[in-house]
Amino acid sequence: MKAPRFTLAIPAWILFTLFFLIPVGFIAFYSFGYKPFFLTGLTIATDKLSFSNYGDALSGTFLETFKGTLQISILGTFICLLIGFPFAYWLAVRVSPKWRGLLLGLVIVPFWTNFLVRTIGWRILLAPEGPVSGILRAIGIRDAPLAVLDTRFAVQLGVVYNYLPLMILPLFVALDRLEPALREASKDLGASRWKTMRQVTIPLAMPGIVAGTLLVFIPLSGDYITAAVLGGAKGNMVGRMVADQFLVAQNWALGSAMAMVLIGMILLTVGLFALIGLAARAVIQRNRRVTLQEVPA
Amino acid sequence: MSTEVTAAEQPVTRAEPVRRKPGRDWTSVLLRIWGILVYGFLFLPIFIIMAYSFNKGRALLAWDGFGFDWYKTLPDNPVIRGAITTSLKAAVGSAIIATILGSLAGIALARRPGKWVIVFMALVFLVLVTPEIVDAIALLIWYVRIKGPFGPGFAVVGDNYGLLRLWLGHAIFSTAVVTLIVRARLAGLDESLEEAGADLYAAPFTRFRQITLPLMMPAVLAGALLAFSLSLDNTIISTFVSVAGASPWPVYVFSALRSILRPEIAAVSTLMLLLTLIALSLVALVLRRSGDSAEEVAKTITGAG
Repeated sequence: MKAPRFTLAIPAWILFTLFFLIPVGFIAFYSFGYKPFFLTGLTIATDKLSFSNYGDALSGTFLETFKGTLQISILGTFICLLIGFPFAYWLAVRVSPKWRGLLLGLVIVPFWTNFLVRTIGWRILLAPEGPVSGILRAIGIRDAPLAVLDTRFAVQLGVVYNYLPLMILPLFVALDRLEPALREASKDLGASRWKTMRQVTIPLAMPGIVAGTLLVFIPLSGDYITAAVLGGAKGNMVGRMVADQFLVAQNWALGSAMAMVLIGMILLTVGLFALIGLAARAVIQRNRRVTLQEVPA
Repeated sequence: MSTEVTAAEQPVTRAEPVRRKPGRDWTSVLLRIWGILVYGFLFLPIFIIMAYSFNKGRALLAWDGFGFDWYKTLPDNPVIRGAITTSLKAAVGSAIIATILGSLAGIALARRPGKWVIVFMALVFLVLVTPEIVDAIALLIWYVRIKGPFGPGFAVVGDNYGLLRLWLGHAIFSTAVVTLIVRARLAGLDESLEEAGADLYAAPFTRFRQITLPLMMPAVLAGALLAFSLSLDNTIISTFVSVAGASPWPVYVFSALRSILRPEIAAVSTLMLLLTLIALSLVALVLRRSGDSAEEVAKTITGAG
């Protein structure tokens, strides 16, 4: 008798089913329920199902929070890419191999300080009487104390900081795998640096760019810690809104619907960007002047 | 498809006389400045936390003179000791679960492909894209609903049900991560070595122990380290599923955030960072002894290999 091919994966399968699929399935189900009258002592009722929670989640201040979160996430991912790409390029291509290991290790060190504590570090830095404010006033850039804490700006800065290493690592891996000979060949054939970057390096680093973008965008959109520490009332994000429905308002039905909308928002955005990416690639390939052909061995 | 340069092409690259030395032209200078700035950005809040751990004042955010006061009081604080112990127990437990389940799944994916792979990978993808906050609320509701070993008063587990909740809660995401790392490693390795073992009449288990396991070890180690650190860092799931008396360190910090932040939090973070750095240096040393280059070591530790 031969064991089926997926035998070794069964334990993981059980874990995912029991502690992920079924619980998340319940959230999906609850999102159609409603919050029972408070005297019943229950937190969720599902005897009448409706879409009304979705209507509530997508109106008024809740809708504003969804829009704000989407903006923060897209802008944050983009800034991470802008900061991370030149950095990863430098690390993978320009730094001598002797130092590369150590420098790569340093990128991950922030991860060994707790996420929450790092974010609190920014709270100290950005405080009105804190170091950044002091320096800015000392050199005369500002006269008044810094007033960025508890704003959207602070949250934006915080998420870029918190997720930047997740962008750098896959970019580094992609650029590190790239044969230097390919770039040199491009230069030997007379391409300028910028052209080599645009036509050789960036296209070949695409898997890393895609991986980094996903690795940053997905957790960033669901983040609730950064907004809770740095955002105050003005810098709210969906993650925090969902948490509040469960921890404060005790409206499980509405919270579940918000969670579902959040997943939908992430999947839609990722899908949309994938489509744009595929379309862009098709256009680039059509406009490429030189077509390379396989040379028969 | 292979990107390796064939023997016939090699003389061309060798013959190239002038390799630009790094640091000589303006792009290199700009990139180096950029690199330093990024490191500055990454380390700024960590240095500030370290500096403020020597704050003598009662509130973390208000500097009130230099002193070791909060380091001295740490050993006498049972709540903090308990929180850190819980964190370590949760991290070890969930790393073990994730490493075993993830490695097994990774082997199956790389070596036993079939139609099931599509379904399983879809599930892994779903686990990875679901925001942690959704996992957290779903798990909380689920644990409360099924009770049994995840609620109070269950015979075997006893008072450890809080820990059990954390182990499984943290293991979900990291199992998916370990699965991918191990699968990637094995998929990149030629199966012919294992086939050679089979041709030489090695029993399946011997083959696994003597060929597959050593080959996948770097990936398993990287996965275990990653799972451990993901668990230590986990705040969202922990906040929702942990129970009073068995709440890990981040939950303690998070609740302190709502009342008052004391410099003790910075002191503990500084100590934990130093301990992790020492532990990591040891792992790096072991890996280097076993023949990896510095770069390979760094890649293993960062999970970037």
